[in-house]
Amino acid sequence: MSISTSPAPPRPQVAETTRPVRHEPPIIVFQNVSKTYHNGAAAIRDVSFTIPPRDFVFVVGASGAGKSTIIRLLIREETATKGHVLVEGQDLARLRRRHLPRLRRKMGIVFQDFKLLPNLTVAQNVAFAIQVTDPGRSHLKEKVGEALYIVGLEDKLNTFPTELSGGEQQRVAIARALVHRPRIFLADEPTGNLDPDAGWGIVQLLLQINHRGATVVMATHNREVVDLCRRRVLAMEGGCLIRDEQEGQYLKDGEANL
Amino acid sequence: MNPVPALRFVVRVALQNIVRNRGIAFASLLTVTLTLLGAGAAVGVVFALDKVLQQEESQASVLKVFMADHISFASALNLEHTLASEPSVQSASFENKDQAAAQASSTLGLGGALHILETSGGGNPLPASINLHLKNIAAVTAINNQVSTSDLLFPGPHQTDYNKDVIPRVEHYILAAQLGGAILVAVVGAVALVIITISVRTAAFVRRQEIEIMKLVGATDWFVRWPFILEGLILGVISALLASGVLLGVGVAFGSGGSLALGVGVQLAVLISLGLILGGAVLGSFGSLVGIRRSLAT
Ligand SMILES: Nc1ncnc2c1ncn2[C@@H]1O[C@H](COP(=O)(O)OP(=O)(O)OP(=O)(O)O)[C@@H](O)[C@H]1O
Ligand SMILES: [Mg+2]
Repeated sequence: MSISTSPAPPRPQVAETTRPVRHEPPIIVFQNVSKTYHNGAAAIRDVSFTIPPRDFVFVVGASGAGKSTIIRLLIREETATKGHVLVEGQDLARLRRRHLPRLRRKMGIVFQDFKLLPNLTVAQNVAFAIQVTDPGRSHLKEKVGEALYIVGLEDKLNTFPTELSGGEQQRVAIARALVHRPRIFLADEPTGNLDPDAGWGIVQLLLQINHRGATVVMATHNREVVDLCRRRVLAMEGGCLIRDEQEGQYLKDGEANL
Repeated sequence: MNPVPALRFVVRVALQNIVRNRGIAFASLLTVTLTLLGAGAAVGVVFALDKVLQQEESQASVLKVFMADHISFASALNLEHTLASEPSVQSASFENKDQAAAQASSTLGLGGALHILETSGGGNPLPASINLHLKNIAAVTAINNQVSTSDLLFPGPHQTDYNKDVIPRVEHYILAAQLGGAILVAVVGAVALVIITISVRTAAFVRRQEIEIMKLVGATDWFVRWPFILEGLILGVISALLASGVLLGVGVAFGSGGSLALGVGVQLAVLISLGLILGGAVLGSFGSLVGIRRSLAT
């Protein structure tokens, strides 16, 4: 498959701060959530928070603090042992397995390892998300072109992932996560494998996605990024939520260095 | 969901799976073919034995009562008349020595031997007989006892061609063939099922990254499953075609006239082939379903 660049809308400016809308019902709710894995490891304990639509939230904490567990509960790869996880008002514990695809299509999800298919081109990787969920959807090329335009890779359509830098690969993953126009965008350590510049580029992109109206949750250890962005921070430690601050920092002054 | 591109995706992935994992795919092809060969051959053998049984049963309802040479034609006719009026007898007919010889020449190919005997002055050794057609086989034993022990009109005992062992023996063979066939098919079928399952599991393992992404972006379970089910289905049906081909080839090679080996008719051959294709399809898709199950567990 080859996809030619389609005429795309002008590239949006890097986001200014958008304020979440707090009078709308929250899009994500954690209600006294605990998760114990099969081996008995208590990954998170009694965690509660709500996220209003269009919020941008960092989840920070040391390794093993429970950040990824929060993401896995949100995409319902895992279910809470206690408490309730609600997405758009729906309790994920009561979500039937056959309705799981509907939940996943509302979400854009990216990880530290980009999870690109090495034998497919950039355009094919992005198109894959549409082909396996909505085969025969019209304007496939336009949709792929648009997603790649947003992440700034409209000139790499026929390149293979191995020929791209880490930052570029993560952009392809983000483009793939964008094709369903998700209302919620989840990123687990998206900058974990990237050098600071590339990582910063990815964070800019997530801010832009947030600016376009998506709620973004990003788990990270990257303290410079968190401190520079001045967004809401949920700080985890040993499975407990220890801080929830608007315009927070990775660590407050006086806290122990990690 | 638009069916045409979905189908194209499913077919492409299924074919790629087979080509990429051709080693294990070939192994499944081989074992499923063997299973189906066994099943098809067993059906053929049981059919042939069943035909023998039917023949024996129809012949068994004929009882020959042999006439000693000194018995006069009139006495024989009289006896025929008496026997014909028995309630269990459908009809009775007299067969003289010449007719017996002609019958032996045509069905047993003994014409030459009989000719030599007659021309050398030995005469015709075959006895005349009264052939009784009984209404059902169950009556054979009773009539046989009656004829061979009682003195009807003239002194007995009269010899008959009664052979009470044939039918149970053929029935025994049929049971053995059915049982042996069933055990063979069950054992080889289980192996085939396991190998198809392994084959699909291998394909799913090779594609685990794709499956992970499919689930992540919201593909349905069925969309994840279909390519693998089709893979099993293709392997099963190809195996069935191979097995049918081999069986038909052997059948034609050893057949004669309008029928295949073992007297299997064209209609039955087609039926067996269709049965094998159905069997292959079921084996293939069921094996795939089992094989893909683990990959779908969240
Ligand atoms: N699948 C699992 N089975 C068992 N225990 C697990 C599993 N996943 C995570 N854990 C445990 O749960 C705890 C929290 O893990 P989690 O992956 O959420 O941490 P994290 O904050 O994402 O860490 P990192 O920064 O290293 O990614 C850890 O103690 C971990 O060992
Ligand atoms: Mg993690």
